[in-house]
Amino acid sequence: MIRVGDVLVSKGEGGVYGERELDGYRVWDPYRSKLAALYLVGTGIELPPDMKVLYLGAANGTTVSHVADYVDVVYAVEFAPRPMQDLLEVARRRKNVMPILADASCPEQYAPLVETVGLLYQDVAQPDQAAIALKNCVFLKKGGYLILMLKTRSVDIRKEPAEVFRDTLDILMSAGLTVIKSTWLAPYHQDHAAIVCTK
Amino acid sequence: MQSCWFGDVEAGQCTPFTGDAAACARRVREIHISMDPFVPLDWQQAVSCGVCRDRAEYLALLQKVCIAGSEQAVREQYAAKDVELLQMVRTLDEIDTVTNVLSERVADWYQIRHPSFSRKYRRTPAHVLVKSISERNRERGGGALGKVATEITCLADARTALAKEVSARACEVMPNTSALIGGLVAARLLSHAGGLKKLSRLPASAIQVLGARTALFAHIRTHAPAPKHGIIFQHRRVHNAPREVRGKVARVLAGKLAIAARLDYYRGCAVPVFLDDAQARIDRAGTTDGEGKEQ
Repeated sequence: MIRVGDVLVSKGEGGVYGERELDGYRVWDPYRSKLAALYLVGTGIELPPDMKVLYLGAANGTTVSHVADYVDVVYAVEFAPRPMQDLLEVARRRKNVMPILADASCPEQYAPLVETVGLLYQDVAQPDQAAIALKNCVFLKKGGYLILMLKTRSVDIRKEPAEVFRDTLDILMSAGLTVIKSTWLAPYHQDHAAIVCTK
Repeated sequence: MQSCWFGDVEAGQCTPFTGDAAACARRVREIHISMDPFVPLDWQQAVSCGVCRDRAEYLALLQKVCIAGSEQAVREQYAAKDVELLQMVRTLDEIDTVTNVLSERVADWYQIRHPSFSRKYRRTPAHVLVKSISERNRERGGGALGKVATEITCLADARTALAKEVSARACEVMPNTSALIGGLVAARLLSHAGGLKKLSRLPASAIQVLGARTALFAHIRTHAPAPKHGIIFQHRRVHNAPREVRGKVARVLAGKLAIAARLDYYRGCAVPVFLDDAQARIDRAGTTDGEGKEQ
């Protein structure tokens, strides 16, 4: 990952969401992007230039644009039409962003478009986050990575975040994934956890 | 046989799909893939298929298809009749909030300017006062206070026009519901439910208390009395009903609204037979004697 001093950055065309630039690099703000927060609080995985990424919950394309700066191609799946309008604008300016308006819990909707990927990144605010991730693991190559951004408050508001975190880890491990690293994203994001696994 | 966006692959034989990006995107939506077992597509098949020469060209083609498909899907979702109505009615309600807050503020400001002024015994609600301030501003020319007052009256005019449009649009989008409860209230129900599809899938009991969330949760948590009505209270037949039958009217009305919303969503046109029957039933519920019973 590229850093300028302590600041995480990426190399690409700027001005996507008014981000600052530093020495010609785009500053990747950990308060806005959970993936950036993961790199800063712990170990995110490297994003080599030949990597293919399936990104579930692409939203406005903020994080997508940074990921796309590093990798070969990003398949960006988003369900809601409003953020999709922004995502489309990002895609029009970046050759390697593939916007897909589809429901991440129905991978058959976008199966004809997506190839085998090396990284499955998931950031959806759904109660069955782990199940959605597992359904999409069919796109993940052997030895590929799954990064799951767990919004504990969206899974179950009545449960303690730590409990949701444990339950999700159990689901992922019992499905045969190996958890490499799991961490909370404080102080950047409250009650959000990141889980990195391999298949 | 495996189908993917660029063509069909069968026993090593590949048939490329010919057509522009939009046609290709439409085809992608019709492909049904079984996910068990599932092998993701291999981009090099596209090369052997003759669709493209290298990776860059593959990605460029795929991106065109993805963008065309997503643009089309967004357009379709926005073309639904209720989507714009949702924004219109939310704007309307927000204008109400804003003008109320600003009017009170301007009235307070005016009182500071005129220490001897009082609104007591004058029957001047804030919006009337704002209007008079703005008129005085036009005659004599004034400072920021007058300008702000003028803006508020402008906003109030815009609100009147918008309310008419919302009403008309609601009658078009949800003819049955609007006939029972009026366009404006029908549109508010729609806005709280989040769309016609969602409204049509709500049970009558939920429609009855739609918009009374605080009271409903207070009831569930602390066993406070249950709310009898939410937004539907705004309809005259509920708020004009005698207190002791108000809950009953709300219940009957909500029951008929649930049916009306389903008719609106699935049929999309007014159903006079249902409407006459429903109106009579709701009117009957509003009478205090025992006639309101279901026959």
